[in-house]
Amino acid sequence: MNDNVFPLGKEDLLKAYRTMKTIREFEERLHVDFGRGDIPGFVHLYAGEEAAATGIMIHLNDQDRIASTHRGHGHCIAKGVDIGAMMGEIYGKVTGACRGKGGSMHIADLSKGMMGANGILGAGSPLACGAALAAKTLGHGGIGMSFTGDGASNQGTFLESLNLAAIWNLPMVFVVENNGYAESTSVDYATAVDSYADRAAGFGVPGVIVDGTDFFAVYEAAGEVIRRAREGGGPSLLECKMVRFFGHFEGDAQTYRGEGENEHNRENRDCLKLFRARVTEAGVIDGGALDAIDSEVLAAIDKAVEQAVAAPLPEAADLTTDVYVRY
Amino acid sequence: MSATTPCVGIIANPVSARDIRRIVAHAGNLQITDRANIVLRLLAGLGAVGIERVLVMPENSGIRQHVVRGLERSSNLGEGRFPAVEYLDMAISSSAQDSIDAARRMHAAGVAAIIVLGGDGTHRAVVGACDGVPIAGVSTGTNNAFPKFQEPTTVGMAVGLAVTDPGLSAVALDDNKLLEVEVAGRREIALVDVAIVAERYVGARALWRAQNFKELFVTFAETEVIGMSVVAGLLDPVGRDAPEGRHVVFDDSPHPACRLQAPIAPGVIESIGIDSWGSLPPDTPHTIAQPQGSIAFDGERELSYSPDDRPTVTLRTNAFKTINVSACMNHGARSRLLTDHRGDRVPTSTTSQPRQEEPV
Repeated sequence: MNDNVFPLGKEDLLKAYRTMKTIREFEERLHVDFGRGDIPGFVHLYAGEEAAATGIMIHLNDQDRIASTHRGHGHCIAKGVDIGAMMGEIYGKVTGACRGKGGSMHIADLSKGMMGANGILGAGSPLACGAALAAKTLGHGGIGMSFTGDGASNQGTFLESLNLAAIWNLPMVFVVENNGYAESTSVDYATAVDSYADRAAGFGVPGVIVDGTDFFAVYEAAGEVIRRAREGGGPSLLECKMVRFFGHFEGDAQTYRGEGENEHNRENRDCLKLFRARVTEAGVIDGGALDAIDSEVLAAIDKAVEQAVAAPLPEAADLTTDVYVRY
Repeated sequence: MSATTPCVGIIANPVSARDIRRIVAHAGNLQITDRANIVLRLLAGLGAVGIERVLVMPENSGIRQHVVRGLERSSNLGEGRFPAVEYLDMAISSSAQDSIDAARRMHAAGVAAIIVLGGDGTHRAVVGACDGVPIAGVSTGTNNAFPKFQEPTTVGMAVGLAVTDPGLSAVALDDNKLLEVEVAGRREIALVDVAIVAERYVGARALWRAQNFKELFVTFAETEVIGMSVVAGLLDPVGRDAPEGRHVVFDDSPHPACRLQAPIAPGVIESIGIDSWGSLPPDTPHTIAQPQGSIAFDGERELSYSPDDRPTVTLRTNAFKTINVSACMNHGARSRLLTDHRGDRVPTSTTSQPRQEEPV
């Protein structure tokens, strides 16, 4: 067996699979629990898009800062945020990452470089540019990274951020997660120039498009754009073409989808299935090792839910704490 | 022109020139609006020589919207003479499968030629599916070793002449070679090169890490292009019409037989270890020596193989036809196909004659 048939060693491949599987099961569980009425507020699930968050974040460290979206659970998990704290936050409990005050769309953990999910579309890009400017000024080698969907990439904040990152040559990566729908509006209707790489080129920023359902495609391209940012090559844009398995939000009737579209995606574009097939057929990892991870992940999700359910809600007196930060 | 004017197909790939070589190299980025402009120039060229109907591949990346707007604006302004444009009724996957499906449908619809906008990979997809329909290429990819750089307006005119003028049949079409790869019961083709690399994943598809190159097979090898074929070209060039190809074996050891400086991507000149090279004769299956890895067709990793697969590569000659734009335009000029004589006055050549000395 050649050592270089895969870009990662066996342990890292298993780690990547564990991360993708954790995101998948976390979201599948929320789908069930939200439908039962257990969860307050809204949730937007990342299932189907795991290869993008995982293939990108595996290159980052805690000093690298990301700004996420309303669909941020996958980014949080891949960036290393504790799933118990995440589940507590989504359940609105004091054990949550933000003490239960943020909910699904505002999970943050600065110790992991996770600046926060964000309920405002396109709001993350300028925030991440700020992190990138800080990294450049302090010279610690970190980068800034923003995630936006195909819809939010029509926002002025996103385009202004591209310009800012270009003129200041920031260590910044713009990730566009293109799942084909801005809520319920298709890309080809709502976007004048459908290639986000074209938009980047308009600002003199290189852009690349990859299959966001192929972990190895994302991993390889992300490695290059992140290295470029870290080494002073400036900003770049990575567009991941992907699919989401659930609706825009839980409860979305998805009448805008084609007949059989979800079933087709689950059958043919499931990044976890593709990953499993690739590594087992190459004989690098046996299916039993992946099955064991599956069981461990399910147990970990069960535990996170149990702890979240059992944890107390914030008290009324907590309402005015954590509002301002002194620095 | 009669109602039986031949129909021409156009396949414009919206996602060529979008890969990782924008990051790891200095590859260009031909924007969607530019691609739409190319289609409009093709249509203008086709319309100018009498083509009345064109079938176009649909896509959802924006080319269609810009073309439709452009045709409407030109119509409002009274510009040009465009053929009727019809979009194929087909599902869109936003992958190479769209080019394949469109080529099949255009063949079934009886188009006389297909104009392809894309790089080497797009042309490969079309040739593999069009079942012998002649193609003409407009380079909008990254390496563009196969399609020659040609002005789309002229390509449109040349294709229109090629499919309408019987006098062009002898000169309009060129024969081309291809490479056939058999792997695990599957047959694939490449128009320019087949590269064997060590990785067992296709990843970001493009090739740029020379240390993983193992073997290379090419149909033709020119010296002034970029990509994998130029490696063979800089060792031992071979033309598009020669009845042979080239085979190169790489050597990634610290002390190879020789090292070659080769531009394998835009702006990327790599020092590559070479073990050996030689002629690749036609119709002779060549077993790939690398026990496992991935196979790149015309510059893109496409499939991985295991030690059980034992893939082979075979060069085929006279495999498909391309329209010779230069020959068509020259014929058009000599045959006055583009000259419109009006009235009784016959234009005369003003080519200067040898001047006779006048007596002093």
